[in-house]
Amino acid sequence: MKKNTISGICEEITFSSFFENHAKSLRNYLFYKFGNEDQADDVTQEAFIKLWQNCADVPPEKAKSFLYTVANNTSLNHIAHQKVVLQYVAKNTHKHTDKQNPEFLMEEEQFKTKLQKAIAGLTEAQRTAFLLHRIDGKKYHEIAEILGISIKAVEKRIHKALVELRKEIENIR
Amino acid sequence: MKEDIKLAKWLDGKMDEKELQEFEALPGFETYRKIKEYSGAFTAPEADTDTIYQNITRNKNRKNKVVKLTPWFSKIAAALIVMLGTAYFFYATHTTNEIAVAGEHTEFLLPDNSSVVLNAGSEAEFRAWNWDSNRKVELYGEAYFKVAKGQKFDVVTTLGKVTVMGTEFNVKARGNRFDVVCFEGKVKVTSNNTETILTPGKSVSLENGKSITTPKEKGIEPSWINYEVHYHDERLANVIAEMERQYNITINLPKEKGDSEFNGPLPMNNLDIALENITTLYNLKVVKKDGDKIILATE
Repeated sequence: MKKNTISGICEEITFSSFFENHAKSLRNYLFYKFGNEDQADDVTQEAFIKLWQNCADVPPEKAKSFLYTVANNTSLNHIAHQKVVLQYVAKNTHKHTDKQNPEFLMEEEQFKTKLQKAIAGLTEAQRTAFLLHRIDGKKYHEIAEILGISIKAVEKRIHKALVELRKEIENIR
Repeated sequence: MKEDIKLAKWLDGKMDEKELQEFEALPGFETYRKIKEYSGAFTAPEADTDTIYQNITRNKNRKNKVVKLTPWFSKIAAALIVMLGTAYFFYATHTTNEIAVAGEHTEFLLPDNSSVVLNAGSEAEFRAWNWDSNRKVELYGEAYFKVAKGQKFDVVTTLGKVTVMGTEFNVKARGNRFDVVCFEGKVKVTSNNTETILTPGKSVSLENGKSITTPKEKGIEPSWINYEVHYHDERLANVIAEMERQYNITINLPKEKGDSEFNGPLPMNNLDIALENITTLYNLKVVKKDGDKIILATE
């Protein structure tokens, strides 16, 4: 190796494991934002390339925040979102077997569709915060870091998102 | 607890027992509960992180290229700006010169597509750049203008100014003689603070600032265009001067003949016939013909 001072993110193995840990979250966040997988992939890629190019100046503990800042700035150039199409994975943890009758399944299916629509109808700010919590299981303080806002602001967004979702779902009914 | 974040606390499981009981009693609770339950079971479409990582690896070293590129790119940009600036300066102040040397006619177009035919031994000058706000042609000598429809400009000579009003006209400013003939449309002639508007067939002739009469022009364009000049009571000296320009020669005329009057057509593309006309009319003979120099003497 030419430089023995190379360390941190510049180290191939560090960069690679950093990518493993953060690529999916970043990409999901961008997907909630744009509602478009290709755009989300592109911006994710750009952000990691920028991180690599600046690896010498970015200490490992700042890498995550650097990544999201770059992604957010790059996003400014991208056009507003399309409909966010989410997939549903059945979780069996809480189901009572006696509820698995066809009528219940149909109701469940209807509710999921309504919820999908309602989520797509949220503002970008509400949707990203809500989905980061629900799908990626991020804590409020992590979401605050990603979005570059205060925890209080995240809580307000989540609260508003829930109010909006309920309104939307109950209105449809 | 503040109302505007209540639901966020609940979603995060941060409500205490009492708050939770109150909340569960509210009418919207069942919907909220379902939202929480079902939204937790959503996933985003699976990302192809392997491809993304490969793309990143491929583009990792892009930086070096960019760094190399930047300095010479900016140098070229700077050089281009300087070059463009200089070119612009020259272009903006540049005047176009059209010259017809003795013995030839020059035809050219003005920026508005008006056509100009310069007679032999004449010069015209104009600015091609910013023509719209500087519609002016400076003329030394004689020229025939065929103005494109709807265009307007001034022909400036040392003897007077001709304002075009969409037309065809001939301007001659030689020595002390200023002739303007209108062939089509209208032209305005300004000389010595007098304005004359010419209509087709009308002309203005000034010698030493004084108006002299010339016959009505019958042609549809000046005869010199076709290398023939029609004269009416013209001083022979002026006729000889015109011949010198057209044929690019020098002619020595006995002084006393200079004030004789010449009438009629004279070809400007056949020297022998022209000389024969002159010599027969005024009892002259060619005593010497040495290249471009011709000496005439009384017979």
